[in-house]
Amino acid sequence: MSQYMQPIHVLIVEDNPGDVDLLREGLAESRVHNTISVAGDGEEAISYLGQEPGYEDALRPDLIFLDLNLPRKNGREVLDVIKNDESLCHIPVVVLTSSGATTDVSSAYALRANAYVTKPLGLEQFMETVRAIETFWLSVVKLPRG
Amino acid sequence: MMSSKTLAPAMAPQDSGDYSRAMLNILDDFASERDRRHEIQTAVLNVLEDFADEKSHFEATQRAVLNVLEDFAEEKSRFSETQRAMLNILDDFEDGKQKVETANNSLRQTTTELSRSNTELEMFAYVASHDLQEPLRMVTSYTQLLAKRYGGQLDAKADKFIAYIVDGTTRMQSLIQDLLTFSRLGASDLELVQVDIEAVLGVVTASLTALIADRHAQITHDPLPWVEADRSQLGQLLQNLIGNAIKFCVDRDPIVHVSVEKQDGYWRLGVSDNGIGIAEPHRQRIFQAFQRLHTREIPGTGIGLAICERIVARHGGRIWVESVAGEGSTFYFTLAREDGMQS
Repeated sequence: MSQYMQPIHVLIVEDNPGDVDLLREGLAESRVHNTISVAGDGEEAISYLGQEPGYEDALRPDLIFLDLNLPRKNGREVLDVIKNDESLCHIPVVVLTSSGATTDVSSAYALRANAYVTKPLGLEQFMETVRAIETFWLSVVKLPRG
Repeated sequence: MMSSKTLAPAMAPQDSGDYSRAMLNILDDFASERDRRHEIQTAVLNVLEDFADEKSHFEATQRAVLNVLEDFAEEKSRFSETQRAMLNILDDFEDGKQKVETANNSLRQTTTELSRSNTELEMFAYVASHDLQEPLRMVTSYTQLLAKRYGGQLDAKADKFIAYIVDGTTRMQSLIQDLLTFSRLGASDLELVQVDIEAVLGVVTASLTALIADRHAQITHDPLPWVEADRSQLGQLLQNLIGNAIKFCVDRDPIVHVSVEKQDGYWRLGVSDNGIGIAEPHRQRIFQAFQRLHTREIPGTGIGLAICERIVARHGGRIWVESVAGEGSTFYFTLAREDGMQS
């Protein structure tokens, strides 16, 4: 089914382990073979993406799930770094957050988020959302590979 | 009569003609002396008269001057009175100015406090939209995951417990959402634009499609006008009223009609239903937040009508209900009318 030979690599930037596990659950059901890395706060995400000391072997992700409310550096700062880095800016970033505040939505898109998704309340709805994101970004669209 | 002039000494008789002449001369002199004296007297009298005239004239002038002086004094006292009055007014003005300044200060303070409380409200709204829902989502999701993974290993009772947990968290989320909407209505500015109520109604019925189909509801409307309103708030208002109209119709298919009547200076819109109706004593308090008449049988947060009331009030109108218990209700609200804007 996959259009790729190699597995898709997903970076989850999320401080809530509950949400990380739910995302893992959702992605485990994916038709696309994928591997997952997790960054628990904004600084870690930036270190990971920059392959800074301690993250030299970090895999460049094909898709990033980004929470907005993160410790140390928030999601907006991470987004800003990604979209202003020539080697990272092409990676699709899906902002996945509890906030439905219009200011959060507009500021995320202003920082060039590729999609803004509000985490749904129920398990089924959550899984459905992850499936929809995954289908679109991992199967429907063609991503640059590098 | 005696003149001061010394008479001529008696003369010799031989010269009696001379004497007579001298006497005549003397008499002449005397007469002319008398005339002169008379003249002088007249002159003096004239002078005296003139003087008297002059004096009375002077007195008149003096009186006039005194009068003027008196008038002046009066004028002066009037002037000082005016001056005092002016000073009083200035004092009052100063007082007033101070009062205005005090009022201004307190207004400024109130404004600052208000804007702070608005900011706090925004903060609350943000916290409510994010932080309160986060743990709720965890409870719901993991309870459901538990049921999904281990459902077979649990008994029927456990399934019921799980249903209660999920139901509770779902209601909690609706509450948070409604509270959020309610608090934002107070904090955000109205975006007034020309709105076609009929178009808004179309969007509202589209978003209620599932409920309308599920309850076999029929929704009709009069030709509706354009108004100046906040489009999204007007939509929220109609959605809550129509949603309620359908929800509170329990034992028959709901028939909802949106009517409009042109009145003096405003439109009176009505949303009528054939639902359970509202008994007289409750018709006021249903517009207050959390005032619910039905607890379990009809789900709801008790904020919907409070949201409606706030939206209508922010548009400068009023909302009320007329109802016959058991037969139906009509919720009326008014919106300002601009002539020439109706479709």
